[in-house]
Amino acid sequence: MIRVNGKQKQNGTRDKDNKGAALLCLGIESTAHTFGCSVVEMYQDSERKGKVLSDIRGIYKPPEGSGIHPREASRHHAEVCSSVLAQSLKEAGRRMDDIDIIGYSAGPGLGPCLRVGAVVARTVSGFYEKPLVPVNHALGHIELGTMLTGASDPLVLLVSGGHTMILAFAQHRWRVFGETLDITIGQLLDQFGRAMGFASPCGGRIENLAGQSDGRYTQLPYVVKGNDVSFSGLLTAAIRAASSGEKLVDVCYSLQETSFAMLAETVERALSFTSKKEMMIVGGVAANKRLASMLDIACTRQDAKLYVCPIGFAGDNGAQIAWTALLDYAATKKQIDVEKSSVHQSWRLDVVDVGWR
Amino acid sequence: MQQSTQTRQGQVLRRGAEADIYLSDWYGKPAVSKVRTPRAYRHKLLDDQIRRYRTIHEAQIMSQAKLAGVRSPFVYFVDPVAAEIIMEFVPGRSVKDAITLQVCKMMGTYAGRLHAAGIIHGDLTTSNFIVYGRRLVLLDFGLAYYSERTEDMAVDIRLIKEVFSSAHVQIFKKAFDSFVSGYAAEMGKRKAEKVLENVAEIERRGRYARFQV
Repeated sequence: MIRVNGKQKQNGTRDKDNKGAALLCLGIESTAHTFGCSVVEMYQDSERKGKVLSDIRGIYKPPEGSGIHPREASRHHAEVCSSVLAQSLKEAGRRMDDIDIIGYSAGPGLGPCLRVGAVVARTVSGFYEKPLVPVNHALGHIELGTMLTGASDPLVLLVSGGHTMILAFAQHRWRVFGETLDITIGQLLDQFGRAMGFASPCGGRIENLAGQSDGRYTQLPYVVKGNDVSFSGLLTAAIRAASSGEKLVDVCYSLQETSFAMLAETVERALSFTSKKEMMIVGGVAANKRLASMLDIACTRQDAKLYVCPIGFAGDNGAQIAWTALLDYAATKKQIDVEKSSVHQSWRLDVVDVGWR
Repeated sequence: MQQSTQTRQGQVLRRGAEADIYLSDWYGKPAVSKVRTPRAYRHKLLDDQIRRYRTIHEAQIMSQAKLAGVRSPFVYFVDPVAAEIIMEFVPGRSVKDAITLQVCKMMGTYAGRLHAAGIIHGDLTTSNFIVYGRRLVLLDFGLAYYSERTEDMAVDIRLIKEVFSSAHVQIFKKAFDSFVSGYAAEMGKRKAEKVLENVAEIERRGRYARFQV
């Protein structure tokens, strides 16, 4: 304890000595299928620009037709963690001594997976005496997205396996303007795909198949409740349509058209309500081109500029954790004692205080 | 039809998320024309169906709401094919920009009256209420439907709660409490409590909702 606190002071002095020098963070992502390590650099000037020096991922792949098994995924993470970590340092051309802080994904996510990342983070932090910074995974998607796209005050659509939320920043926190009332868009695509025997994650395969359809639309339930959406009925109806003899390409097409139109409508509602002039889409499903093209139309109508998180950083990665830890640490100098560094499987984004915006 | 093409040449009041609102007149009375223009991002089949369905529903339920004691614009003309409604022009300010606790309570009263009459509004946000002098007018019944289910009422209430907690976060608690007091006065204490319990249940069902700080 005392030693950790002593080290903190020492770090503080070093920061002052090297004013203007870059702050380096090792970020560890471990919420679901991805174990990722990344070294990210932040310039300590007023603009606080960042640069991703390395981004290494080990991805757990469940067998075709089944989803993530939390225990199997965590076993995978435990197996790959040391090589992913070593590689991320090597690719960045840095040694552990160069790193200033350690960021780790503290939630939300699968318990067994989160714990692997946390153990790695605590170990490295304790052994090398580096400040430890817990990061909300969802916040990581947003912050890395704004860093990479240059959006300043966007309405955010966060779409992934764990989230489907429309957010805007106000009064120190990201506020939810709309979200799913049941499953997420990622779960909708994955669960439909798994029922069809695809390998998870299924979004890419569904997008591909939908592209092969000649545009025959099968009626599926379109459920918008105010600014919120619900996908569970749509999932059931799509599986039923596919198993009752509709062509798979047409069902994939109709599934995308219906679910993405629901998102585009709620985004348009939120844009109109908040009068935001920027819109950013982040999370794994941000990689889908059809979704981006629909949102582009909605944004044009509402005079907003659309920013899409670069495809390489749409999915889970260590850089989102490293960058958010840097922002947090640079602004608040807050760190967590190893003894108190727990993980939270359920940790809503709208309860996180953001000290740097 | 003739009328509708004419009105569309009027001044655009608002390009909303769902419809474009034009300033117009109806035989000398100031009116607005609400046109649900096609959404290019939606498949045409789906889009036509949604726009027509919402137009017809909106016009019908707007009239039903008045019977329940909720002030809403008078409907003058409906064209389901063009997805257009011509209705009374209500001057005044959106509650989004003119929120007071008294208005919040009145909003709760309106929600209670609708729910007691079996009407779910479906889009209870502060931008859909207009303060007009001392009166409050409720707009946008496009997502409205009939239901007596507690769950549906709770979804309605959860939305306004979400709006208070995001767009009006400084007065969130007071605003929602005022809303609930107006709501409970109309619905009866027991029924209102049942709906609020259901709201809490929906929130618990939400993603990652168990963790509270």
